[in-house]
Amino acid sequence: MRVNATSLQHWIVPVLALAAWEVFGRAGLLPRYLSAPSAILLALWELMSTGELYPALAASLYRVAGGFALGTAAGVVVGLGAGLVPGVRHFFDPLVSFLYAIPKIAFLPIFLLLFGLGHASKVSIIAFSCFFPVFIASRHAVLSVNRILLWAAQNMGTPRATIFFRVVIPAAAPQLFSGVRIGLAHAFVVLFAAELIGSRAGLGNLITSAEEWVRFDEMLAGILCFAVLGFASDRILLAIRARVLRGQIIGTQEQVLR
Amino acid sequence: MRSLAKSRAWDLVARWYSIPLLLVVWQAAVGSGLVESRLLPGPERVLAALVTDLGNGALGYHAGVTLSRALAGFLLAALIGIPFAAAMARSTLVRNLFEPIFFFGYPVPKIALFPVFTYVFGIGTPSKVAFTFLECLYPIVVTCYFGFRGVETRLIWSAQNCGAGRATILRRVILPAALPSIFSGLRIALPVALIVVVITEMIGDSIGLGYYITIWSTRFTFANVYAAIVVIGICGLVLDQGMLLIRRRAVYWQREVA
Repeated sequence: MRVNATSLQHWIVPVLALAAWEVFGRAGLLPRYLSAPSAILLALWELMSTGELYPALAASLYRVAGGFALGTAAGVVVGLGAGLVPGVRHFFDPLVSFLYAIPKIAFLPIFLLLFGLGHASKVSIIAFSCFFPVFIASRHAVLSVNRILLWAAQNMGTPRATIFFRVVIPAAAPQLFSGVRIGLAHAFVVLFAAELIGSRAGLGNLITSAEEWVRFDEMLAGILCFAVLGFASDRILLAIRARVLRGQIIGTQEQVLR
Repeated sequence: MRSLAKSRAWDLVARWYSIPLLLVVWQAAVGSGLVESRLLPGPERVLAALVTDLGNGALGYHAGVTLSRALAGFLLAALIGIPFAAAMARSTLVRNLFEPIFFFGYPVPKIALFPVFTYVFGIGTPSKVAFTFLECLYPIVVTCYFGFRGVETRLIWSAQNCGAGRATILRRVILPAALPSIFSGLRIALPVALIVVVITEMIGDSIGLGYYITIWSTRFTFANVYAAIVVIGICGLVLDQGMLLIRRRAVYWQREVA
């Protein structure tokens, strides 16, 4: 990579901020809850070497992956159904438009009571909150498929199933992925809140218990892990998206956002 | 004529039957004792809780707290984010300095930072407003940034040709051209504000709708939990409609895309 003014300027703010944090942290000028970056990395290393991190990470990963997979699958299937079949659409539209405005986390106490403090309550509430953005995106995606494409396929005598898989799905895919990406972001927010409010495992739990032991370095290390987890999942999703939609995302905002 | 009215009525039923149907199923399930009614109180008990707590002002008070926090964080983010996005779009230096922070920070689940916010700003209103500000800032800056960048250069050229100064160009050309994007950024951020405030109130507070939900669920009085969920839904709906109303006034030359 050529070092030019642009890439240099990209690094100025983050590097300066980290350096200032480190220097002021070491000098003891920052409040205690802002441990220096080096201390955070040390705490992270400690969490890794004692093995304390892995069960928490595994629990969080399991919950977010399970909930996201279930919610996305349900959202895609029902959303496509709603896009294709007016009856399905008429059934779900009023329900979704009423529930969409409500932060799904408000249902957490009910899910906690129904499914307990373990994995099931988190998986189900994450699935519940992923469902809505994915449903809405898939529904709109199917409805906004260009009619001419459908007519052209019908004119050539294409069977309905082939039209669905070869015309509707590819045409709807870009919009569908945007919904899935929003769903993924929701999944992490809900995961963190659920683990903070009622849980005995997971990264959220690690963070709160570190806080209770006044181990701010460990707390921040947990926060760092969580942030990296969220960031990495988004990048993986974008990579999958770029692979599935080869040639379809040139010049879109998503391409710039990468 | 009559058949037309009849088919209209039928259409209305076909479009909206699912909400009353669900209420009937809900009532039937509770009435028959299939579902434990402590966990799922019947609709009439939710309505009773709603009427009681709206009457004695409890729900109104907590809703006021939540709404004012959400709006404060949102307005701060709009006031700072929109000019900042404009600066990023117009100045290469500002863009190079801050683009990575916004584009790499965008998919990071910022909720993980909330524990730090409670240390910096305390547990009450300031930490909620500050955190809402952060969460709203990202969608506003990113969406507005693309809006400002998308302003056609030839519009600016023709304004310059007519002898318009920089301030005039900004106010009369760039701002109106970017206004639709600004509003779509604001429309994405507004529900985020409400969600974030409710979540953080659930994590820890003694006022607000999030607190109201938590406290009534620990008392196993779920009728009040559902009542609060209804109130949150209404708040979200009112905020979104208000935003659309302002958008219609401000961007009178373009109809919104549903």
